[in-house]
Amino acid sequence: MPQDLIRNFCIIAHIDHGKSTLADRILQLTGAVTDRDMREQILDSMDLERERGITIKAQAVRVFYTAADGKTYQLNLIDTPGHVDFSYEVSRSLAACEGALLVVDASQGIEAQTLANTYMAIEGDLELIPVLNKIDLPAADPELHGGAVAELIGVDPGSVLRISAKTGEGVREVLEAIVARIPPPHGDPSAPPRALIFDSVYDQYRGVVAFVRVFDGEFAKGDRLVAMQTGREVIAEEVGVMSPTMLPTGRLSAGESGYLVTGLKSVGDLKVGDTLTLSRHPAPEALAGYREVKPMVFCGLFPLDADDYPDLRDALEKLSLNDASLVWEPETSQALGFGFRCGFLGLLHMDIVRERLEREYNLELLATTPNVEYQLTTTSGEELAVRSPVDLPPPTNIESIREPYVRCTVLVPGDGVGAVMQLCQERRGHYVTMMPIEQRQQIVYDLPLAEIVTDFFDQLKSRTRGYASLDYELAGYRESPLVKLDILLAGDPVDALSMIVHKDLAYGRGKALVDRLRETIPRQLFEVPIQAAVGGRIVARETIKARRKDVLAKCYGGDISRKRKLLERQKEGKKRMKRVGSVEVPQEAFLSVLTLGSNPDSSRTRK
Amino acid sequence: MVRHLYVHLPFCASRCGYCAFVVEVGALEMRDAYLDGLCRELAAERSRLGELETVYLGGGTPTLMRPGRIARLLDAIRPSIADGAEISIEANPETVDRAAFDALRAAGVTRVSIGAQSFQPELLSALERGASADQVRRAVACATDAGFASVSIDLLFGIPGQTWRQLEADMAEVRALGVDHISWYELEIKPGTALARMGAEVPDEDWAADAYEMIVARLEDYGYRWYETANFARPGHECRHSIGYWSADDYLGIGVGAVSTVDGVRWRNSTALAAYLGEVTRAGTPGRTMESLDAGTRRRERWMLGLRLDQPLDIAWAGPPDHPEVIARLEAGGLLTTAAGRVSLTRRGRFVQNAVLHELMEYA
Repeated sequence: MPQDLIRNFCIIAHIDHGKSTLADRILQLTGAVTDRDMREQILDSMDLERERGITIKAQAVRVFYTAADGKTYQLNLIDTPGHVDFSYEVSRSLAACEGALLVVDASQGIEAQTLANTYMAIEGDLELIPVLNKIDLPAADPELHGGAVAELIGVDPGSVLRISAKTGEGVREVLEAIVARIPPPHGDPSAPPRALIFDSVYDQYRGVVAFVRVFDGEFAKGDRLVAMQTGREVIAEEVGVMSPTMLPTGRLSAGESGYLVTGLKSVGDLKVGDTLTLSRHPAPEALAGYREVKPMVFCGLFPLDADDYPDLRDALEKLSLNDASLVWEPETSQALGFGFRCGFLGLLHMDIVRERLEREYNLELLATTPNVEYQLTTTSGEELAVRSPVDLPPPTNIESIREPYVRCTVLVPGDGVGAVMQLCQERRGHYVTMMPIEQRQQIVYDLPLAEIVTDFFDQLKSRTRGYASLDYELAGYRESPLVKLDILLAGDPVDALSMIVHKDLAYGRGKALVDRLRETIPRQLFEVPIQAAVGGRIVARETIKARRKDVLAKCYGGDISRKRKLLERQKEGKKRMKRVGSVEVPQEAFLSVLTLGSNPDSSRTRK
Repeated sequence: MVRHLYVHLPFCASRCGYCAFVVEVGALEMRDAYLDGLCRELAAERSRLGELETVYLGGGTPTLMRPGRIARLLDAIRPSIADGAEISIEANPETVDRAAFDALRAAGVTRVSIGAQSFQPELLSALERGASADQVRRAVACATDAGFASVSIDLLFGIPGQTWRQLEADMAEVRALGVDHISWYELEIKPGTALARMGAEVPDEDWAADAYEMIVARLEDYGYRWYETANFARPGHECRHSIGYWSADDYLGIGVGAVSTVDGVRWRNSTALAAYLGEVTRAGTPGRTMESLDAGTRRRERWMLGLRLDQPLDIAWAGPPDHPEVIARLEAGGLLTTAAGRVSLTRRGRFVQNAVLHELMEYA
């Protein structure tokens, strides 16, 4: 197809602002899916995504649309992940497009993530088509939000489309705008072929399937390809497009988007952002923008039942086939036994992986408190990367420690500004700037990532009654006076409860943590002192009282079986605890640090 | 051969708020038919009986059977009863008077256990008990005068709403009555009871522990031996029937819902009166749910039961614990003591028996 009849575009939208519904309508209107086949939100293929209402993996769908000018266009809709953890994947999806629909809920307005992705699209020179969705809602305020969107991207408010993806109203106008406003691709069909990998998935029957945007030249079935960053060679076993399911076409030409089946065994071999070219006719230069994706958040995953360790390894191996950003290595904890230290793109990514391990692989896991990667220089001049508090050398051997910072953008109504700023200050934030957007304030802070990976987002939501939205991007490493806070149960340090904290916060965090542990750990046969220590100095102490009464009140001939079964049930309850030394610790205790910022539930009583 | 017999007498005037036993409210016209049923089951099981050292008539409200039927029942059992046997009956205070006790004495009953539960009017009504505090006092006085070898009372603590002052008041009553034997249980709120439906809550662990410790200390002070978790006796007045349970002896239970344990098999009779009567009439024995106790289960039960007693448990008799290595740690922690192959819980250990059991044994 001539390039002037091709349009590559994506949809930028906040969660729940209607991206998937609009995508569905486009598929229906162009006849790519019959009404009978219509499955709600067809682009979100994983159950987990469906449940969370978000899209993790990007895909590309090709539809044909006969426009008002009588010509039939090939439209490639490239889906984008909707969460900050996957911002690099978003950037590669954007790089595959010439334009984007900026979809904003007409009753809610712009949110922080939309803002971040919009800036990214503007930077990438994409043509943006502003779309106000949900105009059928009673709370819709198209004047206000339409004006703000127009101002944000510097267009005439009259060019903002008003639609309801739910009812279908205005969707045809969206298609016309795509054809009219988004420029066609203009690659060089005769140049050495180059294609951008913007997503790759592992299919157990076909191997790795790469989703690509062809910029120059042409790729055909049977071609021998090379990934220019990794140097990996691969045969294109099949070439095709999603329509919306896999449809082999034999070739993909300059300007088009589609998929390549490779037979490779791991998505790590074809990384998002890499450039594919032909082995026998290689391009001299890769497409710009490739980045090695690095995990930002780490935690230990331990099987609750030590016998499940090999199963956990198998499960991680299988997940890794389809998730190049998941990293893991064996870890041994004195408290928790054998497990793995895993690295994730962010908290959501961590939650998703954990949930998939538990759900799809039927594993019961204990996760330790998440932390970030610290860089440190030892007194002997050695540079170390520390991903677990356990690996932190003694203070006397440390010259300096650096921790990752992020630049956080929070959008909040005016009356929430105080709460947001207070939270950011509590979390060691550095104020950067503040400016009004629509009727809200955009607050920018630089914060240590470590302060975000605990309960920052929950706190932000609860302190602003749900009105604040958050986006962040990495902002380099900064030196901080950090110390290791150890927790001792019954006098013995519990490695899985150690954390790295700013030295000025060590006392407060230590006190809050021992308080929380006293709440979480049930009374035991013997009294259990809980201590928080920094460098051998105790900074906080609490005591779990010993049990004073634990008896079966009455036990006669008719009761014996029932009482024995009661003991058996008690034992079942104990199995869900982890025995650390002589102390039985419930799983949630290992996540106590996560909730330090919130108030303990004082109404809870222990039996 | 079985040396302990339990007979269940299920009739009650009403169901108390905390009761989850097999009871039959009203239906007093069924008493004669039930007595016939018991005699049939007894006849069918006669061959299992050796010389009975104890007989226990429990309920329900056994005294609703009236002394005449109790006498006929004991007559039926008598050929198996050993000389000097302990023959106990449970009595609800509002169902007995001096004449009734005299008649029970004459029928051979040696021990009477009076269900007092409390002497506080508010708590008796919270428990939906039929007797007033005065009736309880009168019943104890009549039983004492009637000359039974042992008179016992049952009490509860941890009753919803119970104050420390009320607990002290019950203690003062107990002291004044001076009975031979006291069973003082912590109230359990069992599923399906009126208290559970009302959402009643047990006191927290510290209050209950304070109450329990106080009860033990005072009763010991008054000359009672804390011979089992919830039982206190003046020397020589321990309940031999119950000690049979805690010693893991075999026992036969007859009547509706009654449980037996004989030669490693435990069974429970049908729990509905009509079904029980129909079955014993047709087959001589009622329908039963059986449970076979393997060696490990029996060993774990011997520990569970034996550690309730103040008398040391003979490890050779009970069988080794699943985790013998923790004994030293428990001993160092002041929870148990060992001597000559016997183990007994310390005072503190007795209050946390379950936790100690979980250290020693694998109940799974």
